[in-house]
Formats: sequence, structure tokens, C-alpha cells
Amino acid sequence: MGVFVFLPLVLPLTALPIAKLAEQHLHPRGSTRLLTLLAAVLGLCSTLCLGLLMVVGTAQLPGNPLPDGWSDPAVRAAVPGAEIAGSAAIPLLAAALTACAAALRRHLRVLARTHRALAGLPGGSGTAVLPDDEAYAYAVPGIPGRPGRPGRIAVSRGMLRSLDDDERRALFAHERAHLRCRHHRYLLAVRLASCVNPLLLPLRSAVAFSTERWADEEAARAVGDRRLTARAVGRAALIARPAPHPGLAHFAAPEPGPVPRRVAALLAPVPPARSWPPALTPAGLAALVAAAGTAASALSALNAAVALFVVLKAATPL
Amino acid sequence: MAGKPFGNARRRGQGQLEAQVLAALHHAPGPPTAAWVQERLGGDLAYTTVMTILSRLHTKGAVTRERAGRSYVWTPAADEAGLAALRMRRLLDGETDRDAVLTSFVSALSAHDEQLLRTLLDRASAEDPVPGADPEARGG
Repeated sequence: MGVFVFLPLVLPLTALPIAKLAEQHLHPRGSTRLLTLLAAVLGLCSTLCLGLLMVVGTAQLPGNPLPDGWSDPAVRAAVPGAEIAGSAAIPLLAAALTACAAALRRHLRVLARTHRALAGLPGGSGTAVLPDDEAYAYAVPGIPGRPGRPGRIAVSRGMLRSLDDDERRALFAHERAHLRCRHHRYLLAVRLASCVNPLLLPLRSAVAFSTERWADEEAARAVGDRRLTARAVGRAALIARPAPHPGLAHFAAPEPGPVPRRVAALLAPVPPARSWPPALTPAGLAALVAAAGTAASALSALNAAVALFVVLKAATPL
Repeated sequence: MAGKPFGNARRRGQGQLEAQVLAALHHAPGPPTAAWVQERLGGDLAYTTVMTILSRLHTKGAVTRERAGRSYVWTPAADEAGLAALRMRRLLDGETDRDAVLTSFVSALSAHDEQLLRTLLDRASAEDPVPGADPEARGG
């Protein structure tokens, strides 16, 4: 087994190139689903791996609650540097799980606070128009398990005022698409995955971007005009609230931010609806290679995790 | 559950209570006292609860108060929608990771992005001028 045991922990390094490829060559819908699935699988594998390392590395320590069989020398021999890896895995695993729980709690808190803020407004499940001169528009997902709190759209008067009728239609179509396609679930999944393993962070921003693109495409289809949708996005961005921490966001300037990329994509032709580029083009070949590489790495990650698990099971006296 | 109109006061959310108090203030003939508000709300709220809600609204800037004799009289500064906007604004300013939960229509632009975006939009409208949209495009 050897160093392959650690593979699931470093495999998420492949997330960045895969995210780039997916953004360039896939329809945003396919891209969102693929990248979310990838993040979930890699995140789970990496957590599983940490858990097993912890068990193997620390089972021989006196006074621990784990079965003695797990500290068998043969088991430890299967993991290089078992003691160090095992002890390191404890704080890592604890940090990962704590970060996950904190992210989940924050998510629910923001959701509840937003619904409370909007509670007094008419139009219980529809659009909430806020009398605020600042321009903003948000899709507020419903609270799970609370039928009385469905998803709604919160938009400020400032935003509505600065768009014309057609652009407003595009704005609402975009926000409705977020709610209808349940984009918040993808976002939460990648968020939790990146809490578990920070190497998955590129997938988080990639999925955030591809859900926006997905909603843009849905909006363009609903209003039947890509150029109009592009204009709505662009004008809304030009009047919207400035970044809360401008210094950080602008650090690496030359790379275009999400909004110009979305507008450029809307001004370009419709992305192909198929989820895969044709096999004989360079893009198709690159995608195939990337997919094969990902599949192989995910498989070996799973393999390492399963192997560790089997070894432990064999060593457990039952 | 949620549709029950007048359940136990405790089961009503804070936002809902604030909205009810504000609505009562709006319907008052003049600046009322807290006791008047309590009576108006139907009596299942304790006086202290009404006072708490009023002071919370005061902190938010949604009501103003003036001393009249030994107690305060209260005037609404914002209606229910205005209060919702205040709460929303506080949320947007206060929660740093709201972006992970609420999907914003547009994210913030850097100076570089802004320039790039203007170029893109100009080029788009030059290629295919949309009737009636141009004059407004300059307004933003």
C-alpha cells in the first residue's frame, strides 16, 4: 500500500486544472454538477483517509478506546510513518469536522436571519422589494423542513430603479433559476468539501461561478435574448454595492473577475447543451484525458481507503 | 403551524412582533405610549415585551421617541418595508460569509473589471444598438 494511503489527501490538488477545463468546455449546468460531485467524492475520501490514519496511528497508544487488534504491528507496517501520520491526523480531522460544523451553523444562521428580516414584507413566497436606495438583488433559498419559509427573491428598490423593464425581467428570471435549480445545495456541498480539505477551495469558486453562469443561461432562455441578459448583468454590476473589502479582492488584478466573464459568455453564442465536447477535437481529447486521470485518481483514493479499512477489519478480533 | 393567526405570543417570531408593533404605531391617531400599543395588540403581550420591542426598534432607527410626562411616546420612523430593509442592510453589512448562502445577482467589481465590463457593453451596443436602451445606458 505504502504512500498510496496518503493519495486521497493530496488528490484534491487536481481540482484547479479540472475546474479550469470544465469552465472552458462544458455547459455551466454540466460543469456545476460535475464539479460538485467531484468535490463531494474527493472530500469524503480525504475525510475517510484521515479517520483511518488516525485509527491506525494511535490505536497502540495506552488508554485509548480503540480495539487492541488495530495496533497490530502488521497494520502499522502498512502505513508509512504510522505514528507521526496518526498523531497528525487527530488535529487535522478535528479541524476539518469543526470547520464543517461551523460552516453549516453559519449557513443556517444567515438563512434564518434573512428570512426574519424579510418576514414583515408582503408577498410571503414571492419577491420582496426592499425600500433601499442601494442596489442589490439576492436569491434567498427556503429553509429546509419549513414549508412556511419557501425560497424568495429579495431585491432593492435601488436595483429595480436602475434597470429598464426588459432588464428587470432578465434579473428575475436569473434569480428564479437559482431557486428553481436549487443552486444553494451545490454551493453548500462544495463549501463543506472545502472545509474538509482546503485543497478543494478552487472548486468552491468554480462552482460559485458556474451556478451564476447557469442562471444566466436560464435567464437568457426565459427572456429569449442573450444580449439583453448580458446588458442586465453588466449594468447591475456597475451600479451595485462596492466590495466590502476592496483591497483583498483586487490584489491580483489582471485576471478578469466573474462579472466580465459572465457578460462575455452571454455575448458569445449559446454553449452546446451536450455535456461533453466532441471526442476528436483538442478540447475533447483534453477533457477525456482529464476525466480518465480524475477517475483513476478517485479510484486509487477509494482503493487506498478501502484497503486500509479491510486491513483494520482483518486485524479486529471478533 | 405557521398559519395559526394568534397563537402564543412567544411562538411568533421577533420580526413578526416588530412588524405588528410598527403597524400599530402607524394606525395610532398621534404618537402613542407603550401601554396604548400593548392594548392595541390585543393584550396577550406583556408590557415589558412591548417595551423591549419598542426599544429594539429604537436601536434600529425604525422608531423615534419623545419624553411625555413620566413615559415615552413613540413615532414610527420607517414602515414595515423600511424596517425589513434596515434589517436586510444590517445583515448584508454584518455577515461576512453571506455570499455563500445568498446568491447575489452580481458580485463586486474591481477597477480593472469595471473598465473591461464597460468595453464589453459598449462593443455589444455598437454591434447591435437596441432601440430605446441607449439613453438609459448612459444614466448608470
